[in-house]
Amino acid sequence: MGLLTLLRKLKRSDQEARILVLGLDNAGKTTILKKLSEEDITHIMPTQGFNIKSLMHEDFKLNVWDIGGQKSIRPYWRNYFDQTDALIYVIDSADRRRMDETGVELGQLLEEEKLAGIPVLIFANKQDLLSALSSDEISQGLNLHTIRDRTWFIQAASAKTGEGLQEGMEWVVSQINDGAGGGAESKN
Amino acid sequence: MDMRDADTARLLWESGEWGKDMYHHELKATVPRRILECSAVSREINFTSQEEIRQFRLEQRVFLAGACIEEWFFDFGFVIPGSTNSWQQTIESAGEDRMLAAEDLSGRMTIETTFLDGRTMLFKTLVRIFYE
Repeated sequence: MGLLTLLRKLKRSDQEARILVLGLDNAGKTTILKKLSEEDITHIMPTQGFNIKSLMHEDFKLNVWDIGGQKSIRPYWRNYFDQTDALIYVIDSADRRRMDETGVELGQLLEEEKLAGIPVLIFANKQDLLSALSSDEISQGLNLHTIRDRTWFIQAASAKTGEGLQEGMEWVVSQINDGAGGGAESKN
Repeated sequence: MDMRDADTARLLWESGEWGKDMYHHELKATVPRRILECSAVSREINFTSQEEIRQFRLEQRVFLAGACIEEWFFDFGFVIPGSTNSWQQTIESAGEDRMLAAEDLSGRMTIETTFLDGRTMLFKTLVRIFYE
């Protein structure tokens, strides 16, 4: 379990892989990463910049970039697009009020030239909450089936319980290993 | 800065807030010797920046008795003005048979971290590690 275990599964000739984690504020980006490293998740403050996790296994490095999702920080996201190998987009499945807003942000990211063709994993987070929309409902609501220029996958998850996190990350690693790019078939 | 057992996330050492004296003095860290038995250790640095930085990067070197035994360069790139940021590295152990003894390391190992904007040095910290 955890990021280090995943890193050991990465087979790549490249020296480094970069995963970018984005989503609205309070979606649970930092909590997901901390949970994956089995860190304490009871005192997480809103991210006012970036949190990076760098892992090294043999000569290979994995860097995971979690950037704050507050409205004032979102204009800076573009500074972190370069050389990204996979995008993880985190959604608070219980935040129905901001479902449109998160869809717009995701749509804009998918239009970014620097992120063109890179695989995207969507974490439908907070599935432990009763009011959470299911991953299918989110998938339909955000018209994810219209994504055709890259591989994508939506994973129901709960950063609180750990549900779905490993599965989602395994998908990301498999995509990086395949060197998947534009035009590959979508999975759902 | 803090250090943890990467498998359990248990805190092994924490520096607390670094004051102005970090620019002038070598800091001392006393770390439990069981850190050497961990299969992986994570080191985390937290920092805030009032100003925007365009090409923020860091060079970290671990010295044993003056010789560099580990080197880690990291490019952060852009730093958001008024931001608080963190960088956590997870380092795997070299393996039990290749580990040096705490007695041989204690007080002889330093971690030097240099923060730069492009080629301009912003500041440097030096932490000497003691095992107990």
